[in-house]
Amino acid sequence: MTQILFKGIDTPNLTSIDVYEKQGGYAALAKAFAKEPDEIVEMVKASGLRGRGGAGFPCGLKWSFLAKDVFPRYLCCNSDESEPGTCKDRELLMKTPHLCIEGMILCAYACRIETAYNYIRGEFEEYGEIMDRAIAEAYERGYLGKNIMGSGFNLEMYTHMGAGAYICGEESALLTSLEGGRGEPRMKPPFPAVEGLYAKPTIVNNTETLCVIPFIVNNGPEAYAAIGTEKSKGTKLVSVSGHVNKPGNYEIVLGTPISEIIDKFAGGIRNGNKLKAFIPGGSSVPMLPADKVDTPYDYESLVAAGSMLGSGALIVMDDTTNVVAEVLRITSFYMHESCGKCTPCREGTRWMHQILLEIQNKVGKPEQLDLLTDICDNMSFKCFCPLGDAAIAPVLSSIKYFRADYEELLASAKAPVA
Amino acid sequence: METTTQQDTVTLTIDGKTVTVPKGTMVVDAAKTIDIEIPVFCYLEKLGPFGCCRMCLVEVEKMPKLTTACTLAVNHDMVVKTTTEKVVKAQQGMLEFTLLNHPLDCPVCDKGGECPLQDNTFKFGPPDTRMEYQRQNRDKATPLSPVITIDRERCIACQRCTRYSEIIEKDQALVMLDRGFQNRVATFNDQPYDTRFSGNVIDICPVGALTNTDFRFTARAWDLTNASTLCGHCGCNCNMTLGTRLNEMKRITTRPNDAVDDGWICDKARWGYDFTKSKNRIQKPRKGDETLTIQDACRQVAAGLKKIVEQYGADGVGFIGSGYGLNEELYLYQKLFRTGIGTNNIDHKTYLDTPGLPVPQWDLPAVEAADLVLLIASDPTEELPILDLRIKKAVTRLATQLVTLNDQTTLMDDYATPSLRYNIGSDAAVFSALSAVLSGQPGPGLEATGLESGQIQSLADTLKAAKKVCVIYNPAGLTGASIHHLKQLLSVIGQLPDTECGALPSAPATNALGAMDMGVLPDFYPGGLPLADVAASQKDWGENAPVKPGWTALEMIEKARSGELKALVIFRSNPLVDFPGGAAVLEALQNLELLVVHDIMETETSRVAHFVIPSNGPGFDEGTTTNIGGRVQQRTRGLVSDNPHDWKIIAMIAREFGDETQYKNVFDVTAEIASKVNGYAGIKRKAIRREGKTRETIASVNGRLPEAEPTVADVAGSLKLRVADFLFCHDKILDADSHLAHQFKPSSVHLHEQDASALGVKAGDEVTVFAEGWSVKAEAVISNRCNPGGVVLPKISDQQGVMGLIHPDHAVQWVQIKK
Amino acid sequence: MFVFSEAAESRIEKILAKYPFKKSAMLPLLTLAQEQEGYVTPEAMIEIGKRLGASPAYVESVCTFYTMYFTKPVGKYVIKFCINISCHLNGCDNLMDYTTNKLGIQVGETTADKKFTILREECLAACSEAPVMQVNNKYYVALTPEKVDQVLAALK
Ligand SMILES: Cc1cc2nc3c(=O)[nH]c(=O)nc-3n(C[C@H](O)[C@H](O)[C@H](O)COP(=O)(O)O)c2cc1C
Ligand code: SF4
Ligand code: FES
Repeated sequence: MTQILFKGIDTPNLTSIDVYEKQGGYAALAKAFAKEPDEIVEMVKASGLRGRGGAGFPCGLKWSFLAKDVFPRYLCCNSDESEPGTCKDRELLMKTPHLCIEGMILCAYACRIETAYNYIRGEFEEYGEIMDRAIAEAYERGYLGKNIMGSGFNLEMYTHMGAGAYICGEESALLTSLEGGRGEPRMKPPFPAVEGLYAKPTIVNNTETLCVIPFIVNNGPEAYAAIGTEKSKGTKLVSVSGHVNKPGNYEIVLGTPISEIIDKFAGGIRNGNKLKAFIPGGSSVPMLPADKVDTPYDYESLVAAGSMLGSGALIVMDDTTNVVAEVLRITSFYMHESCGKCTPCREGTRWMHQILLEIQNKVGKPEQLDLLTDICDNMSFKCFCPLGDAAIAPVLSSIKYFRADYEELLASAKAPVA
Repeated sequence: METTTQQDTVTLTIDGKTVTVPKGTMVVDAAKTIDIEIPVFCYLEKLGPFGCCRMCLVEVEKMPKLTTACTLAVNHDMVVKTTTEKVVKAQQGMLEFTLLNHPLDCPVCDKGGECPLQDNTFKFGPPDTRMEYQRQNRDKATPLSPVITIDRERCIACQRCTRYSEIIEKDQALVMLDRGFQNRVATFNDQPYDTRFSGNVIDICPVGALTNTDFRFTARAWDLTNASTLCGHCGCNCNMTLGTRLNEMKRITTRPNDAVDDGWICDKARWGYDFTKSKNRIQKPRKGDETLTIQDACRQVAAGLKKIVEQYGADGVGFIGSGYGLNEELYLYQKLFRTGIGTNNIDHKTYLDTPGLPVPQWDLPAVEAADLVLLIASDPTEELPILDLRIKKAVTRLATQLVTLNDQTTLMDDYATPSLRYNIGSDAAVFSALSAVLSGQPGPGLEATGLESGQIQSLADTLKAAKKVCVIYNPAGLTGASIHHLKQLLSVIGQLPDTECGALPSAPATNALGAMDMGVLPDFYPGGLPLADVAASQKDWGENAPVKPGWTALEMIEKARSGELKALVIFRSNPLVDFPGGAAVLEALQNLELLVVHDIMETETSRVAHFVIPSNGPGFDEGTTTNIGGRVQQRTRGLVSDNPHDWKIIAMIAREFGDETQYKNVFDVTAEIASKVNGYAGIKRKAIRREGKTRETIASVNGRLPEAEPTVADVAGSLKLRVADFLFCHDKILDADSHLAHQFKPSSVHLHEQDASALGVKAGDEVTVFAEGWSVKAEAVISNRCNPGGVVLPKISDQQGVMGLIHPDHAVQWVQIKK
Repeated sequence: MFVFSEAAESRIEKILAKYPFKKSAMLPLLTLAQEQEGYVTPEAMIEIGKRLGASPAYVESVCTFYTMYFTKPVGKYVIKFCINISCHLNGCDNLMDYTTNKLGIQVGETTADKKFTILREECLAACSEAPVMQVNNKYYVALTPEKVDQVLAALK
């Protein structure tokens, strides 16, 4: 079992800097400071690490896009984790905050950033406090502040708590929120790397992405690139939830078949039931039927299978499930979380919800399936930000693979009403 | 003008047509230039790209997804398609979403007939909707303010209004509350949205969600007769459309002219026109209580004036005009008094000013082009509201720096770096000191100015470092004769080697600049021609043209009191309220053998006149005005009155004095102005019809130099008075029936905390301001609005009577404050 | 009038020091105001606006965007049940029904003694430990009716 992020994660008191250091923590800093910042960027590029927040964008490449010679610039660690099914960043923050800090320091050094924020979702207040204590410890040890370890590099680091809005996980909305505004996404371009926080060049990376950086610096990019598949390098935290015996966050090597994740890691389907459907990458990606369970868990294979790796949340549904109820839940979520800025997302999510509710309540009409499909088409790639596209993924995929579930409800709707 | 080079433009293809537009243009706007309509809801060029309604999706070659044309800047060789199947489907889909929860109440909606949602649906919409659910119920027609109604059911959340509030007004008074489908346009805690510029949201709302409460249900848009006119309130002369029906004012809307108003009007323009239907209008000419025909009135007034001229000489009569008349009216009046009667007793104001500038006259857009705006003694927010918006835009969205130099704090100070505050009455010293530093000469000390030499030095450095300095000054906000020091300062800045300088003289009255240009002055003929230049005066105005300086308006009042002035014609002015002097003004006017008042409204002054003649005024009149940027524009009428135009009345009186000039219409007078008035040569009706035209700079000549100023010694227990303008002043124009009555404020006096504590006055105390045997009641506000030793008294109504506190001879007035 | 407590003031000082632009302190200050009063009052919005250079309307617009801010009073303990997919697959509906019955209130209501408010919450990001609830800032995972009983009993 290859473990990079979760290695020793359950060591008691890992949140304390002493314990973390004993495990080799913060060793990457000295190694990094011995190199030029650009070399670190090259290392991360060479490692093949892709963003773990959902979009899977190559991490090193993003760092190299920072507007040249524009300062100050900022780093925002995205700990807004709100994608249904996803709970991996929570575990990292809760159990190994120093890993995140170390990753952030390395990123900041590589990108010549002197101010870093960790944007943590508001509900994680407890973990924000853990993070604050860890940051304070790191300051005490001289890993943060002025002239870190005599390198001449300065970095201030702060936490910033959100206040309940999924959309603030979207990077540009996160920045607006951090600036004290309503978390509405911004126009792109300009991308954050050019004009981000306070209109300055900004890196936004997911917590897990940043937690990988110390390994790359410590062991070299080759060591990381040796893990995983041709194009999906390294390991990935997968939050397994739903109808499994042992739900939990598991660190898997990219390319591991989903069946293995469900059976070996998560202890198989509970109650001896059969697998019916699974969502491989959080609520924003298409769900897949059981016959795709052998798909290797990596970016390319999942796309080939008609879904996406997303944020790495595997939601498992057994054969007692009628997926319509679950799609209704997810749609209700997107309706609730739509920021309301753009028309198709604001209106479309609500309209889909109204229709799904009717179908679920057995008062739907068969034509509504085509209508739903067409609403999805009218939203698809037409909304202001990807939330709109996320909202249609479960609807479209469920109609595609589990039309029978809808039809069952629609058929019973025809039964004479007493 | 900068020339456009190839680098500044971009050529692209839209629907097969090639178009070349300036770099940075959005695709929607580029399409518009070749008559391709891409539908929009949220986009408004003035607000910048936002991209929330998704109505403007287009296909762009090499881009995998449809893109919003309102957020996409043009690029070389871009190929845009706006009518493909994909685009049409997207447009229909977007309209379907937009209409999902929109009540289709067009038949009863005030926007009907001019509604972008209606128009877009007609042109781009789906054949029908598939929505079968009950539309979301929201508040119908609730007041957003006393003058704006909001119908939240109709709102499509385009955020034009809230962005307007944020980006243009900078108030962030109107915002989106809540999230997602629940979001709604609102104010803090549902307080009224009653900013100075609130009404513009009505015009920019693309649906009938924001409507003019006064206009609601009174007429359909298509039943209105629309006059393209100008606002007659302040010196900006914003362009607006006056909608009338059956000869009654129905509503006022914006008529964007970037060179003047940048597309906006203030609320005083929009709702400050109830005077067109006021009962207080002067209906008919009269002598005492006897109603006359216009002809009789003119004849009798002329006869009366002639009699006095015969008996006492031409200097026994005088004329007081105002900055509110049209150029043509003011021109004809001065011509009558000079060439018909033979006197220079002509004036239009109570402060000192001289025509012309030692630097180029700049127009309003210069505020945006300048890298430094120096705002002197001016409070645009209250005096020239649209200038306020322009300055805020320049400072917050362009690279302009604002410096304010004033004796009172204004809202503009929030945008200024730095804002310098001098003591009331020390303006001359400050200007001289700054001139001296700029020209490297020893200057006066700064004692008692409230400023320090470091501040003046650093302002001088800023001016020297600036490439383009735009100086905006309010001559009416200066004290004593400091206008001369200011003009000297302008010429010093104008001579800085690396600094280009221009100025906007920004007296608040509608046509203050025009009145100066038209020579409604005791010492200048039109076009800034000084009396001292006898040869030129007589060449232009005839052998008998008077060359002896006349009396100023204040002197005329004084001479009326002493009996040296026997007759006075007052045009659009109310000295009993607006002139300093208090009871003495009444005494003076009552002492006259002949007092003629030619005005729109009955005033305190018209009530004591021997003859009263109706003036038509804005809405009814036609002619030109010259705004603070020197732009001459045409004011057309939307309403017809029973009385002849003012210019005709003046011409009728002039005829009695032998002026036989025949004018077919007012533009014949305009043409005469063009031929006779320096700077106005290009001002032809045709040339100004659309956007107006700036008249040429009139070079300044020193006017009558002031006598040595009396030193302003401290008076124990007294404070220096600054009377400030207040936009929504409850006067004869914004009268009690006004739709802006909710904006009227109670009388207040602003004190510095030091003085307040010395006087034992607390915020909110009811105090009395005393001087010259006069008193004004006011509520104390401890706002540090001016430096210690001074008080600011905003003029909030005619009734308040602030001018009575001032003695006309005093450059600075001392007042006492008692609890 | 709203006045930040002395304890809050010292935290505000630290908060403001984090950011180059003070408006960034908006969310933290709203949180502090809510901690102090139980919800964000209009007076608090005015005060926050003054400190951060924002109009009260702007503060209200930010405040109402985020679900964690209350603009009306709530109970001493706010119980938030996650109802999103992972919790739904693990029976959160029954659990929520159990709790509402137990406390005798509907979702969105507050008990008469002002002790408890029950709310529905979208994903709380503890999906692999579903079903989940949060009481004020504390997470309770892998819930069963018995566990809910214990948690509620421990709340004074
Ligand atoms: C609606 C929406 C929600 C998102 N939520 C999160 C989130 O909670 N955490 C996260 O890291 N990224 C989230 N993202 C992705 C971010 O926009 C961004 O791509 C990511 O933080 C970049 O980091 P990475 O490159 O390390 O993955 C979200 C994106 C969208 C469109
Ligand atoms: S009220 Fe009008 S302008 Fe404002 S958001 Fe709604 S539709 Fe747009
Ligand atoms: S006009 Fe382009 S998105 Fe609204």
